[in-house]
Amino acid sequence: MSSRRSRISDEEIKELISKLQFLLPETRRQGASRASAAKLLKETCNYIESLHREVDDLSDRLTELMATMDIGSAQAEIVRSLLRS
Amino acid sequence: MAISDAEGESPAAAKEVGGERKRKRLAERSLLAKWKTEGERKSYSSKLIEALRVVRRSSCPAPAAVATDCSRSRAVRVAADRALAVTARGRSRWSRAILSRRTLKLRSRARVARLKPPAAAAGPRAAERRKPPALEQKARVLGRLVPGCRKLPLATLLEEATDYIAALEMQVRAMSAVAEILSAAAGGGRSSSVAAEPM
Repeated sequence: MSSRRSRISDEEIKELISKLQFLLPETRRQGASRASAAKLLKETCNYIESLHREVDDLSDRLTELMATMDIGSAQAEIVRSLLRS
Repeated sequence: MAISDAEGESPAAAKEVGGERKRKRLAERSLLAKWKTEGERKSYSSKLIEALRVVRRSSCPAPAAVATDCSRSRAVRVAADRALAVTARGRSRWSRAILSRRTLKLRSRARVARLKPPAAAAGPRAAERRKPPALEQKARVLGRLVPGCRKLPLATLLEEATDYIAALEMQVRAMSAVAEILSAAAGGGRSSSVAAEPM
């Protein structure tokens, strides 16, 4: 089997990994590039999953809020505060 | 072993590439930084509100008991994701993948069982692979998490993932802000006999 996939140079991988490290909150604190690629990938997966869960929770919350109030006044309120900030 | 074939550069050229790489890195950071600007967040917020209005209107004809909260919450999630993809202006694979989705893909847990690669059987052959299977396995998991990125090579996948993470963070910030505003408005609108709100 031609190992074309592994032809991505280690340089590129290191670069992308440093980009990821920049984003992930935990690894940013440590600041060292000693995290192995596998560990970093795992961190990334966990982080994305936790973000998904947050979005799901927020959707639930927004659904609840929407159900209990009139969207017309809600929109006016939102527009007002968006203009303010 | 195979380092020479990827970049056959002399040291002088390598320095140039180094400088260019730094510039490229800065440019990419600024691409990601766009997800943090107020403008993007507001643009997303207004799209989100439009989407919420549509969801609410579509569920209005049915009485509140029939349309379950779960399905409406899912509709909100789908609308929020679509709005996020639109804000990305189609420059990334994941955004295009979200927009071409017809309905929300329900993530099936049954597929997780397939993860174990048959690497245990290929004992002597495993040494020939440059990437250990664990890395590929994790890359596959990542490919499933980011929309539309299942069969991408690792480099592209990581690029998409970084953009996706930045966008998700913005989505969380914007949705929290909208939820805060709505709950504040709801709290103010209600007659204040009940002081203690579970929020």
